[in-house]
Amino acid sequence: MKILINIALQSLLSRKVTVFLTIISLTISIVLFLSIDTLRLGAKKSFFGNVKSGDLILGARSGEIQLLLYSLFQIGSPTNNISWESYQQIAKMPEIDWIIPISLGDSHKQFRVMGTTQNYFERFSYRKDQKLQFKSGTYFKNTFDVVIGSDVAKILNYKLEDNIIIAHGIASQSLHDEFPFKIKGILKKTGTSTDKLVLVSLEALEAIHKDWKTGSKLPSKIKNKKKEIEDLDLTPKELTAAVIKLKSPITIFKIQREINDYQEESLQAIIPGIVLTKLWQIVSITENIMLSISSMVIVSAILGMIAILYSNLNSRRKEMALLRIVGASPKNIFTLMMFEAFLISLFSIIFAIFLVQIASFIFFPILDKQFGIFLEQKLWNARNLYFLNLVLLSSLLVSIFPSIQAFRKSINNGI
Amino acid sequence: MNNIIEINDLQFEWNNKKQFSLKIKELKIQNKKKIIIFGRSGSGKSTLLNLISGILSPTSGTLCVNNIEINQLSQKKKDQFRANNIGVIFQQFNILDYLSPLQNILLPCFFTQFKKHDKEYFYKRTFDLAEKLNIKKNILYQNNSKNLSVGQKQRIAILRAIINKPYLILADEATSALDENNKNDFINLLMNLCNEEKVTLLMASHDTSLKKNFDMSINLEKILL
Repeated sequence: MKILINIALQSLLSRKVTVFLTIISLTISIVLFLSIDTLRLGAKKSFFGNVKSGDLILGARSGEIQLLLYSLFQIGSPTNNISWESYQQIAKMPEIDWIIPISLGDSHKQFRVMGTTQNYFERFSYRKDQKLQFKSGTYFKNTFDVVIGSDVAKILNYKLEDNIIIAHGIASQSLHDEFPFKIKGILKKTGTSTDKLVLVSLEALEAIHKDWKTGSKLPSKIKNKKKEIEDLDLTPKELTAAVIKLKSPITIFKIQREINDYQEESLQAIIPGIVLTKLWQIVSITENIMLSISSMVIVSAILGMIAILYSNLNSRRKEMALLRIVGASPKNIFTLMMFEAFLISLFSIIFAIFLVQIASFIFFPILDKQFGIFLEQKLWNARNLYFLNLVLLSSLLVSIFPSIQAFRKSINNGI
Repeated sequence: MNNIIEINDLQFEWNNKKQFSLKIKELKIQNKKKIIIFGRSGSGKSTLLNLISGILSPTSGTLCVNNIEINQLSQKKKDQFRANNIGVIFQQFNILDYLSPLQNILLPCFFTQFKKHDKEYFYKRTFDLAEKLNIKKNILYQNNSKNLSVGQKQRIAILRAIINKPYLILADEATSALDENNKNDFINLLMNLCNEEKVTLLMASHDTSLKKNFDMSINLEKILL
């Protein structure tokens, strides 16, 4: 066996250029597959990372995917709100550990404004139970304080104590310009939709909408707005949604049913993980296409390797004949050829691991910062190792054909 | 004197070349003799050597090498028999460029004898034989055999054929690619070594001028049926 390994290695080295090109083509295809797969899983994890906080999402009755999208990802708009009274009633349920109210509707530049409470900063978690952290400042203490996500700060070049004006609705020209907000906190990057949020208190949202009725601004009776409005009752009348965390996950279906059967108002509760899985199934067609393309690239690279092994057979006739004459059995010739294919695949896999590891160090932080796709540095999970074994096994399987041809030819050619 | 090769009613036909067939009624080659087989290109010299070495199997008849009917052996035993008992010298010497000269010489040992004998014995035998053929140790230890001269290649080929102490050496047109000087050197070296090692030599060639160096010559076309 040792001599076969030695012969295979030295024979490969003597054909450096073709072997190197074969290894490069297989390496690139493995890198491509691993990159697409890692990106796919990373995107999925990032997406699912948004739903770590709560067990249920409470909202007005509508489509469950719609509720999930606007409450957790701030995509789309709610068809209806829930009343503050209903929210209070539900928050009092003994099974509930904590509840985060969410109020959407306004915007600042291209970013959504979300009204919430201090609970959001203390309870909201993402990915592996990571909590929100402030890059600078702290959460809002006064009515017109605002906290911004890291992307908002970066793109709009905002810093603490800057004043911002909130617009009524999304992409609206009507501004709440009589109520400038002061930035009191900037959050650290999370890779979730929070990075693109402008967070204000529920009271602030109530305050800036005091003069608004059915989407239009009424002539104000209040003269010194900012000062006087803080003295008014700013208890919100409506909310968009709420994230609920239960004391025990066993009660999840019970509470969901109770909310869905709530008599006073038409409400619904969704389990975010389940709804997100349904949503992911819809978009999984794209990821399957990507996976199929990268699989085809690997198949073509393996076939390329086999083509090279086949084309080399003719030029190696004398070599094979010599080995047979000096005592190498057909099994030895077969093993030699298989071993060469094994070495080519093994080197390709080693190079691919090396390249992917380097790429991960360079590109993962960029993807996280630019696109909010958080990818784990731990690439060598069971799935990837299984895939690499599969590449090795497939290349060995297809190498059987030129290997059989090799020992057959070596007998036919003779001395 | 014993016969090392005995052929009776031998017939061989290629599966895909029906027009060619090799038929020999009888051929006996004595042990430790040096025989040359003449014949035109395509007359069947190489085919006969392939049959004797067990690479090809006769269609009918018997072929015994050292009293063993090689065709009756299993593929594995045939390979081992060939590696242990028969040395082969090729027309182009067939030195594997990517192996060192030492590895080229020891190649037959790797597949058989190393399992049975002390590794050091074959290394010592290689160095002793190399010294006799005037091959320096530093040449044996070169990384590869790409830069060997024709003379060095022919000596390496002879050493490779003889390293396993075979009964029989088969040489197929081993001088056809050599100029006159190299041809004479090669024949002299081969004859001397065969005498010293007491090996039977069976060489196929179309060069009748070599006849004088051999104990016996056979014109293949005359013994073919």
